[in-house]
Amino acid sequence: MSEFLLVAALCVLGTVALGLVAILRGPTPADRLSAAQLLGTGGVAALLLLGVATDTAGVTDLALVLALLAAFAAVAFVTQRTPADVVAEPASPPAQEPE
Amino acid sequence: MTLALNVFTIVAVVLGLVFFLAGTVGLLRFPDTLTRLHALTKADNLGLGLVVLGLLPQVAWPFGGLKLIALWLLALLAGATVGPLLGHAVWTHARGREPPP
Amino acid sequence: MTRPDAAPSIARAAAARGTGFFGCWLLLAGPGWSNPAAAPVADVVVGLLAAAAATWASLHLLAPTPGRLRLGALGRLVLRFLWQSIVGGIDVARRALAPRLSLQPGYLVYPARPPPGPRRALFGALTSLVPGTLPVGTDSRGALVYHCLDLRQPVADGLARDEALMIAVCGEEATDV
Repeated sequence: MSEFLLVAALCVLGTVALGLVAILRGPTPADRLSAAQLLGTGGVAALLLLGVATDTAGVTDLALVLALLAAFAAVAFVTQRTPADVVAEPASPPAQEPE
Repeated sequence: MTLALNVFTIVAVVLGLVFFLAGTVGLLRFPDTLTRLHALTKADNLGLGLVVLGLLPQVAWPFGGLKLIALWLLALLAGATVGPLLGHAVWTHARGREPPP
Repeated sequence: MTRPDAAPSIARAAAARGTGFFGCWLLLAGPGWSNPAAAPVADVVVGLLAAAAATWASLHLLAPTPGRLRLGALGRLVLRFLWQSIVGGIDVARRALAPRLSLQPGYLVYPARPPPGPRRALFGALTSLVPGTLPVGTDSRGALVYHCLDLRQPVADGLARDEALMIAVCGEEATDV
């Protein structure tokens, strides 16, 4: 069973990694934050799977902290920015990302 | 009995993975910020719920199981708070640029 | 809000919230104990203090509202929203994974009955889990504005049912309108 759970954790991490593309792509800060939220939920799921697979109870607490931080990140984002900042698109065409 | 519980775990976790994948795909495919928010707040909360459901037979009761359920409820609450908050910020901006609906 | 039963209502809210917070603390601290009955007394004292502090903060941040919750209706509300969040997830997943995107996004103005304040916020949070709706704000006439994934769906009917169920749980608050 623990092998299956480890593979499942890797799969969740894979989808989360795909979500990172959305962070790079944007185009608005709100889109990037959405992708970061997905990373939060996916990270929680991956941690839970890892914790049960390796029988480490403490990992559940890590997942709990991650869930809290993801929520607070979004709240801080919304309260610390004006609405225009939330959806502001880059003024100039974004420079090519260095490969 | 253990076999049945293990099959339950596998089915629930795999279904959960499908919803995580759908959340990511929605985030990448949906046309604008607000529709992407829909994908985010709904699909991955269900994915996490299914993963938690699948893990329930594998953890110690009562503390381990109840903690997982509490964690999912926290994530649900966070999603239900963050979605409308972000939606409000995006909508306020969109309304400033065009006549209100 | 100066009702004769204000004091007992605060005491009752404090007792209920304190019990809930202590339960949360038990969940966080409990798994470390091999046997819950043999928990060290000093630990439990810390937990009780933490629960008392959390109750104090919660009573200050969110004052208890008069009136009792109807537990039967609350059960129905919880079941409905669990079910709705499942349907909502399936709905989004189906649209995201379909070969051709089937979306007709747009705004819907819904004159919600819960007045602005905690109840309106609760209604907004609950309905954000419902398939295809996301509350985004309040318009100039005080109606809730929803962003919908698909305007072809009977979104307003679903919202009306959620609203009726929520009012059955907490009772109707007198509105200023």
